[in-house]
Amino acid sequence: MRRLFGVFAAALVFSLGAVAVIGRIGRDWEARVSVRGHSMEPTLDDGDWLLVNPAAFRRRAPRTGELVVARDPHDARRVLVKRVAAIGTDGSLTLAGDHPAHADDGSAIGAVAADLVIGQPWFRYWPTERIGKIA
Amino acid sequence: MFSRLTRVLAPRTTAHAHCDIPCGVYDPQQARIEAESCYKIIQKYNESNDELFRARCINVKEERAELTKHHIDVMWHDYFKPEHVEKFPDLHEVCWKASKQASQVKRTVDIAEAQKLLDLIDKIDHMWRETGGPGSTRMQASA
Repeated sequence: MRRLFGVFAAALVFSLGAVAVIGRIGRDWEARVSVRGHSMEPTLDDGDWLLVNPAAFRRRAPRTGELVVARDPHDARRVLVKRVAAIGTDGSLTLAGDHPAHADDGSAIGAVAADLVIGQPWFRYWPTERIGKIA
Repeated sequence: MFSRLTRVLAPRTTAHAHCDIPCGVYDPQQARIEAESCYKIIQKYNESNDELFRARCINVKEERAELTKHHIDVMWHDYFKPEHVEKFPDLHEVCWKASKQASQVKRTVDIAEAQKLLDLIDKIDHMWRETGGPGSTRMQASA
């Protein structure tokens, strides 16, 4: 009886875990993006496909050093993927690329208001040889 | 089978990792010029018996076709807006076919394929003109 309970509990924990994982992927699946351009190398390559967590910054603001997907302040139809280089006193973000030649992207993009941030890319699901969590 | 899978998996949103600011200058002629190069190169290829020259033709055609594709994609992703799609419901279809046709031109030395590419670019050009492209995306010559 006790053993049966153990098996049952394990199955319950496992399925709850599976539901949580599938639920998270399902949610982030809606916000997946493909990377275009080379400014985020070596972290992200041109052509990478990413899952984006749209809830990442609902309860807190992005921090310096975190990756963000955000709307381009110059063109709302365009979406950018960059790293937060600095945070202004008004909460606006300065973004930069990881590639050494793109370190001063922020001055070209300009201040990005926090409400333009769409979410946080956290998982690369393509190409298959580079599948995994993104640092 | 594989391509069907990747189509399902492919994200619909592009996240730009460029540093550029969209300059707002668009013109399908950029694609057209590269595609004309492909056309002429295929002609020259077919007229020549010189193996080295023919090899160089293939090389340059590859490069020009890639540029054609790039310029088509820029029109598609950056110039065209949802209201343009309302006006031309086949806009996505045409851009998609043009982009694919540029890949096709890479693969072949058939002049008819290069002509198809030019025709598709002309369709994009037509949509660009009908949506006010020349006035809104090109600078006017100063007298």
